[in-house]
Order: sequence, then C-alpha cells, then structure tokens
Amino acid sequence: MTVTSATPTPTPTPTYRQRGPLWFAWRRFVANKGAVVAGAVLAVIMVMAIIAPFITKAGPNAQDFLTDSLAAPSATYWFGVDDLGRDFFTRIIYGARVSLTIGFAAATFSVLIGIPLGALAGYYEGWVDWVIMRVIEIFSVVPPLLAAMLLGALTRGGFLTIVVISALFGWVQVCLLVRAQIKAFKEKEFVRAAQALGASPGYVIRRHLIPNSISPIIVGFVLAIPLAMMLEASLSFLGIGVPPPTPSWGQMINTGMSFMYFYWHMAVFPTAALAITVLATTLFGDGLRDALDPTMKGR
Amino acid sequence: MTVFILRRLLSIMVTFFIVSVLIFVMMHAIKGGPFDAGDMPMPPAVRDRIMAKYGLDQPIYVQYLKYMWGVLRLDFGVPFQSPGETVLELIGRAWVPSLVLGGLGVLIGAPLGILLGMAAALRRNTWVDYLASAVATLGLTIPVFVTSMLLILVFAVWLAWLPASGWGEPKKWILPIIAYATIPMATYARYTRSAMLDTLNKPFVTVLRAKGLSERRILFQHVLRNSSIPMVTVFLPMFIGTATGSIFVEAMFRVPGLGAYFVSSIRTRDYPLEMALMLMLTVMFCLAYLLSDILYAWLNPRIRVGGRKG
Repeated sequence: MTVTSATPTPTPTPTYRQRGPLWFAWRRFVANKGAVVAGAVLAVIMVMAIIAPFITKAGPNAQDFLTDSLAAPSATYWFGVDDLGRDFFTRIIYGARVSLTIGFAAATFSVLIGIPLGALAGYYEGWVDWVIMRVIEIFSVVPPLLAAMLLGALTRGGFLTIVVISALFGWVQVCLLVRAQIKAFKEKEFVRAAQALGASPGYVIRRHLIPNSISPIIVGFVLAIPLAMMLEASLSFLGIGVPPPTPSWGQMINTGMSFMYFYWHMAVFPTAALAITVLATTLFGDGLRDALDPTMKGR
Repeated sequence: MTVFILRRLLSIMVTFFIVSVLIFVMMHAIKGGPFDAGDMPMPPAVRDRIMAKYGLDQPIYVQYLKYMWGVLRLDFGVPFQSPGETVLELIGRAWVPSLVLGGLGVLIGAPLGILLGMAAALRRNTWVDYLASAVATLGLTIPVFVTSMLLILVFAVWLAWLPASGWGEPKKWILPIIAYATIPMATYARYTRSAMLDTLNKPFVTVLRAKGLSERRILFQHVLRNSSIPMVTVFLPMFIGTATGSIFVEAMFRVPGLGAYFVSSIRTRDYPLEMALMLMLTVMFCLAYLLSDILYAWLNPRIRVGGRKG
C-alpha cells in the first residue's frame, strides 16, 4: 500500500450542527410564550427576594412607622403601612423570601425522598414495589391539609416543620414519575448490557436509570414548589404555619380579612403576591414539562 | 370483577387500619390535654375525675381499642367542646351548610367546566381554548381562600352587590358557592379538554367521518362517550375534597359549617370529634377511590379482564 504524498483530505465539516435533546427542549420552551413570561416573573420575584434589604426602607419587623399605621399606599409607602406600623411593601418582599425558601427547600426534600423510593419500586417491582405503593396509597387517602394540621400541632409549627410536612406530601408525585420512567427503561438494551457485564443493581440505577429519568425529576421538582408554597400559605392562614412576626403571605391574608372593609391594601397585596407567585411557578413548571416531554403536551 | 372488588376492599381495610392508628397516636402525642388549666382552672382531683370519666387515664392502646369498638357500633363518643350532644349529632348538624354549599358548588362548577373543556377541545387554539386554559390553571393553582378573598373584595366591598358573610337566606350563599365552584370547574375544564382531544385524534373518529356520519352524532354518540371515563372517575374524590375546602371557604364567609371544627378540634384536643372527622374523611376518600375504580372498570371493559387497576 503506497502512501500518497498529499495530506488526507479532511472530512468536510457538516454545515449543520448535531443538536442534542436539550437544545430541542430549549427551543420548545422558548416557543411557549406563557412559560417564558412566567419564568421571567419568577426570576424577578426571586431577585427581589434576594436583594430585599437593598430595596426596602426598613427591616420586615421594624415598627418604624407607627404614626402612619394603616396608611394607604402612597409614594412614600408603596403598598401602605400595616396595622402595627410596618412598611407593607417590605413585608410583602420578605414574604417572598419565606414562600420561595419553603417552596425550594420542600421540593428539594421531596426529590431526595422520591428518587430513591421511586427507583427501588421501579427497579425491583415485587414486594418492594408493593410496600412503597401501599405507603403512597396511605398518603393519597389522608387529606394532606388535615394531616399537615395535625403534624403542625404536634411539632408546634415553625419554618422547618412546614418544609418537612410539604416534603412528606410532595415526594409521592416525584416517586411515581421516577418509578414510571425507570420501569420503562429497565428492559432497554443498554441496561441489559450493563447487567450482563456484571454491573450491580445500585450501579445500574445510579449510572444508567436515574440519569435517564432526569426530565421527570426536573418536572417533579418544579411542580412541587407551588404545592409547598400553597400548603405554607394555607397553614399560615389558619394560624398554624410560620409563626409571627416572620412575614408570611398566608398570615397577612388572614390579618387582612379583618381590615379589608376600610383598609383594602391589607388584603389585596398579599393575596396578589401569593396568586402571582404560585401561578408563575406553575406555568413555568408546565412549560418545562411540555418542553422536556412533548408527548405530555396539553395535559 | 368480584375478586377485584374484594381484593380492593381488603387493601382499603388495611390502609384504613394503619391510617386510624397513625392518626390516633399522633393526636394523643400532641402536648396538652382537653382539660388542662386554661381559662377555667380546676382542682387536680376534679380534673382527674373528668379524665377518668372519659377514659383518658388509660393506656393509649386501650383507648384506641375502646374507641374503635365504639366506632363499629356507630358510637363516636361525646365532643368535649359541646358535651350536650354526641359527635354524630354535632356532625349531622354542622354538615348541612357544608353539604349544601359544597354540593351546589360542584353541581354548578362541574357542568360549566365540562362545557368549557368541550368548547376548548373543539375550537383548539382560539380564544375559547385560551379562556379554558386560563380558568383551569387559575382555578387549580390559586388557593381557595385567595379566590374567596377576591370575591369578597369585588362583590361585597367595592360593588356592594352581595353580603360578604353569613348563612341563612340564599342571597348569602352565592359568593361561597362561586368560591367552591371554581375548583370543580377548573378540574373539569382541564380533564375534559385533554380527554376529548385524546379521543378526537383516534383513528376511529376519522373512520366515522369517512363513512359520512354527521359531526354532531360523532361528537355526542362516540367522542363524548369514549372520553367520559376520566370525567366519571374524578368526580367522587373531588366531591369529597370539598370537605377540606370547607375549612377555608367557611372561615372566609363565616358559615357555621363543619370546616371550623377541623381546626378547633385539633386546637382544643377534642379527641373524639377529631378522630371522628378524620376517620369520616378517610373512609369517604377510600370509598370514593374504590367506587371510581369500579366505575372505571365498568366503563372500560379492557381493564376488567386483568383485574389489576391502572
């Protein structure tokens, strides 16, 4: 075989790029205007919550404006002043901190509980699956709010308790999503090949099955956030959630009820804040789900 | 089919037993008792006698067995917060407003939601579709006490058309019923839309069109019937779910219904009432899911054979 002197002609670089599934998911997400707007709104709320000390005039619990108690919204007090002389705009912004922290923390714990249980149930089936499904059944027949009320009374409320309670009821969804995905992938050739090469179940689940379940996990994570935020608001509304003076929207709505006939701002702003945040998170999550799993579109 | 039902019943009984033990233990684990010195301090001897009268001095498993034995004979005990009646009488009395409001809410909301969902599926990507999606998303994401608050603000405070709270004359029912109705409306708008779109895309619809059947007959005789399954199965759990919603709606509109007792029984350690309420809801949810499963199997012959629920 003679070697030609000319350099081997390089294969022409293709004029198109290979597109990964994430690129397509991103394209689908951007095409969904509602989800993009919701994501932007959520980002604005998150930024405001993070930089709260720089955009508010006082601490969230500082009763600096007692002489102006219950003042209506004005240029000085954007959202007015509440009954205890606290700037209401400040309270609402700090309320976002509470709501978002609880939402994200609860979603994180839900995922941390849901992934291993879902993986076990999906991979082993048999009695493991049976036990996990019975546990899920128990969680589905007990109304979450009532159980949360009991648990809240048992542990005397507080920030951490609410995170734990939300996670306790949030993992079910993640677990079911992961279980379904792993069941679907378990019989695929690459998993069979890994097993044939002697990979342990733990290795197969960690290296092959969970990475392939990443989109349902992301979806489960994002959709657990608004549920936790709603549970927090509901419990705080009933007076068994985040204890005062920590600003919580649910609590503020409850207080606002008694004032709404004469001081509308006490009711309107926390109501709107809660509604907008929950709605934005849900729409963002729905958009992500449609983008990551196009077969689910419109459900 | 009988085996299927029996197996589900057995599974439900096991679930119910576990849930009842969990609730009973949790309830008693909460610090404090129903007769602690609060507003009305009493001598320890008197307190001990009252505790003994209600059997609260016995070990918890004895209390549990005694209570559950009573439940089997439909004796749920006496509520500590209103000792003049039995728990059953109290629930029967307080449930009427909740049932009227919740029931009317579902009966009004569900058909509206179905119509909206149908319109959305038939006129895809038009304003009807967007309206239905907006209603579905709003109704399912915004907590019911926020909806109630907005209703009160707009119709009672600003427009002053309707009374904000109370119970009695039907005029006072309108706002709480609307608040209740948003949830079934949203749920049904969403389910109906996706179920109908699913069916409309099936090949048999194309065949029906090809053989020249009128659109109306395709819609009412074939599509609607085939997409009714999820709509039927979601109904019962949703209807019972209004009981949880009643906690908020009734608090917002000051309706003397069952809702307030869920909170007060936990707060005052009213064990018999609390246990009865929780058991009642759990049983109703269990039965609702069972009935839904049976209905589902009955409507969809394909899953009858395997006997395994989907």
